[in-house]
Amino acid sequence: MNPGTAVTRQPLLKRVNTLLRYSPGHRWYVPYLFLLPGLTLYILWMLYPLVYELYISFFDWNIMPGQVSEFVGLENYREIFADSNFWFALRNTALYALVTVIGQIVLGLAVALLVHRVIFARRVFRAIYYLPVVTSWVVVAFLFLYMFNAQAGGLINYLLVSVFHVLPEPVAWLGNPDTAWVAIDALGIWKGVGWSMVLFLAALQGIPVELYEAAAIDGADEKQQFLHITLPLIRATLLFVTVMLVIGGFNVFISVYLMTGGGPLHRTEVVLSYMYNRAFGRLRFGYGASLSYVLAAIIVTINFVQMRLFRRPTIEY
Amino acid sequence: MISANRRAYRNVNIAIFVILCVGALLAMAPMLYMVGTAFKPDAYLPEFPPQFIPEQPTLANFETALTSRNFVQAFLNSVIVAVSTSALVTTLASMMAYAFARFEFRGKRFLFYTMLVMMMIPSMMFIIPQFIVASRLQLTNKLWGLILVYVAGGMAFNCFLLRGFFEALPRELEESALMDGANHLTIFTRIVLPLSTPALSTVAVFSFLGAWDEYTWALTTLTDENVRTLPIAIANFRGVHATDWGLVFAASLTAVIPTVLLFIFFQRYFVQGLTAGAIRG
Amino acid sequence: MKAKWITILLALALLIPLGLSQAQEEVVLQFWHTYNETSPEAEMLVETLIPMFEEAHPGIRVESVPFPYGEFRQTMLTALAGGQGPDLARLDIIWSPEFADLGLLAALDEVMPDFQDYADEVFPGPLSTNTYNGHTYGLPLDTNTRVFMYNTTLYEQAGIEAPPATIDELAAQCDAIKGLGDNYYVFADGGTYGWAVLPWIWSFGGDITDPEITTASGYLNGEATVAAYEFLYEMVSSGCFSPSFIGAAEVDASTSYFTDITASILDGPWMFPIAEAQYPDFTIETALMPAGDGGSISVVGGENIAMFASTAHPEEALEFIRFTQSDEYQLAMSETGQLTVLPRLLETEYYQTHPYYGIFLRQLETARARLPHPAWTTIEEVLTDTGQLILRGEMSVQDALDAAAEEIDGILAEYAG
Repeated sequence: MNPGTAVTRQPLLKRVNTLLRYSPGHRWYVPYLFLLPGLTLYILWMLYPLVYELYISFFDWNIMPGQVSEFVGLENYREIFADSNFWFALRNTALYALVTVIGQIVLGLAVALLVHRVIFARRVFRAIYYLPVVTSWVVVAFLFLYMFNAQAGGLINYLLVSVFHVLPEPVAWLGNPDTAWVAIDALGIWKGVGWSMVLFLAALQGIPVELYEAAAIDGADEKQQFLHITLPLIRATLLFVTVMLVIGGFNVFISVYLMTGGGPLHRTEVVLSYMYNRAFGRLRFGYGASLSYVLAAIIVTINFVQMRLFRRPTIEY
Repeated sequence: MISANRRAYRNVNIAIFVILCVGALLAMAPMLYMVGTAFKPDAYLPEFPPQFIPEQPTLANFETALTSRNFVQAFLNSVIVAVSTSALVTTLASMMAYAFARFEFRGKRFLFYTMLVMMMIPSMMFIIPQFIVASRLQLTNKLWGLILVYVAGGMAFNCFLLRGFFEALPRELEESALMDGANHLTIFTRIVLPLSTPALSTVAVFSFLGAWDEYTWALTTLTDENVRTLPIAIANFRGVHATDWGLVFAASLTAVIPTVLLFIFFQRYFVQGLTAGAIRG
Repeated sequence: MKAKWITILLALALLIPLGLSQAQEEVVLQFWHTYNETSPEAEMLVETLIPMFEEAHPGIRVESVPFPYGEFRQTMLTALAGGQGPDLARLDIIWSPEFADLGLLAALDEVMPDFQDYADEVFPGPLSTNTYNGHTYGLPLDTNTRVFMYNTTLYEQAGIEAPPATIDELAAQCDAIKGLGDNYYVFADGGTYGWAVLPWIWSFGGDITDPEITTASGYLNGEATVAAYEFLYEMVSSGCFSPSFIGAAEVDASTSYFTDITASILDGPWMFPIAEAQYPDFTIETALMPAGDGGSISVVGGENIAMFASTAHPEEALEFIRFTQSDEYQLAMSETGQLTVLPRLLETEYYQTHPYYGIFLRQLETARARLPHPAWTTIEEVLTDTGQLILRGEMSVQDALDAAAEEIDGILAEYAG
């Protein structure tokens, strides 16, 4: 081979190197080859739809093939701000998230602390508490629907009325908005406790025992140990759990859809069921698209705020 | 003095154990109730008092469900969809994760942060345009329409999960292989993947379960009874006027059993996967 | 060795598609409906009528696809949006205007040369539910209405001798029925949707909108409609009528009727096959809807058969439509509780001697249809919610109806433009 050409090829490659900013040892296209299959699907079904949805939100979108959609500009967004049903659904969702997140964190942490203390059968407990987490939402929604049945023989009614005598008579749980929320929240908490418990448990196991022993010698009691050692050291997990649970809380759909359908009187409507209904029930896809955007914006904002609030420097010990 | 302390310590431990048992019972009670009800005949209305163990247990509900042509078809459809989704997600997400973990490339940061932000957006936000895209591509009412969307939806989270895992792997093995002249594909398949079985199993199992249980997208795109998946078939057992809860729960149990089995066998990986994600944050 | 196995497997794999593909000359029509899979209607359709049709039309196969009623409308719309719709469907009459407005249905008066012959044969009322904007988008398949059904056991126990002829008489039954116990009711229904409240509204002399369907103000919140809702509120809140109206009852309306909890309901001809199957000892007694100031007016139900514009087999689909308008089809379905839409069949011995169709036919003489408007589904939502607000005592009748009228005016205005 002509040595001249080999020499001149090197600077060219180097320029391509710098341009593409890859680490030497491979051809420039290698990382893209690895990315391509997954990325293609991701772009086709996630990124492109997201952008397309913005486009749709500016139309009164007609879903039927071959039909024309009318351009309406910002009309859909203007309608959202005036839509009291939407804000009500948002309020419902926020309350649901608040109740279930707190419930899952408090109970999850409590159970984790308890499980952490026992050595015997720890795996079994972990498995039992985690099982609801991996069970399908459809199945558990029906289960709670059956348990909260309005009849005297419904499990919850039976326990509260005939066994513990807390209520005077059976309640039509899902026929009334306030009591329906009890059922929906209970489902949300019950299904999620195991998840946060598992994470807290792992975090607890990461705290060196010596810290507790040292604190005990210094005279700290259980409560102080908890407040000053445990909580700070699981802060990272606490943040992660909170963020994920809030995302999950706003994601609530199947339980509401199957248990109440948003009723009675649309009082148990959540943002996702509202959007779904407007789009697929009333065929207002443009409006549904703009709802999605507004909601996405709200949720992302909430998450960023959370992450800002919780961020503190990692604790060295 | 010392023995009194130790006894107190043991008593507390026993108390804790008891509390945990009670709690576990509470957590399990609904599931046990479901199992019991599946064996009740003609369970349109809850009996008074409610029975965890039916007085006249019967296998009729299971018979009805398993001999229903539509239900068996739905089960098979769910198996196909879940297995395909799991295989594709594991393959594609691990490839993407490897790219993130071991390479620098143009657009890396942009892609990373885009995927991160999009993970925060509930998947249902995409359902409208996804439906329109699927309609245009003639993919509604088909199992592939489900699989592709499920796989796409699982890319971001699993990619991050695996990326964290890959980054923690020692580079020496790969570097020495590079110096020996191996190309990256070989390194990926022969070195990195085998070392990552725990993480890969987590991804495979979680994406299987995600596809197995998914309801909303399936509900939206599938109309033909031949392509319905299990969650929809179960929901269809709910009648307009009266529901045979025994039948509903018998059907539900057949759907839950694979979940439970997977869970028992892969319990280790569940936990590992979760905590790995949490620590990476 | 390995290569041999691979070739064998490949060969087998290639044979499979060959085996699966059948002669493609056969036309398969998809017919979607809401008959429950195990119901007598579905059985008649699948086991008798479709084979009859297929025999007479070799080369055409009809696939009957059942759906639960609750999701049917949305499922159809979704499928059509995805280009996966059926050829034919049995549409509830309230959906025909909406589907026509969306451009989904084929205008039979345009694509069917002998359309007028068939149109002339059916009752004008049910036919009119197929019309929209000057064209007709289907033919009636079956019709029905609600009549007053009363429980003779409870009447006996309460000392009531005859069914009420007027709404006042119905209300007067309250003392006697409640005398049997707190958990007995004079009347029950499943909610405040159109099918439930419209007989009351109309019998009181009220209405939702003017005849041209341009405005609700003055009608929905007019004197007569207000009186109707005040009556219902009075009855439900005093315990005369079952709390099933607001979803707070332990069992649904028809079950409570069959199990001697409620003395009367309004329901359709399908109740008779149901009673036969589930409550064989029960005898349903019927009467006309109790009359109010507006008369005894019930609500017309029924279904139309429509062909979709997107069908690939219009000629074959039209053949099936013609078949549904035949004597054989109509009489066969009549046996399963589906009232015919052909006046000429009322002369037949079957109808003349039928044990219970008579009362329905009489009620049909004055029964009215729900608004034939594409936005009916949305309007009904407003109506239902308003009814719930009223019956739960959360809003006064006048206020609630005023608000509803305003909202419905808005909905109608959107379509007027």
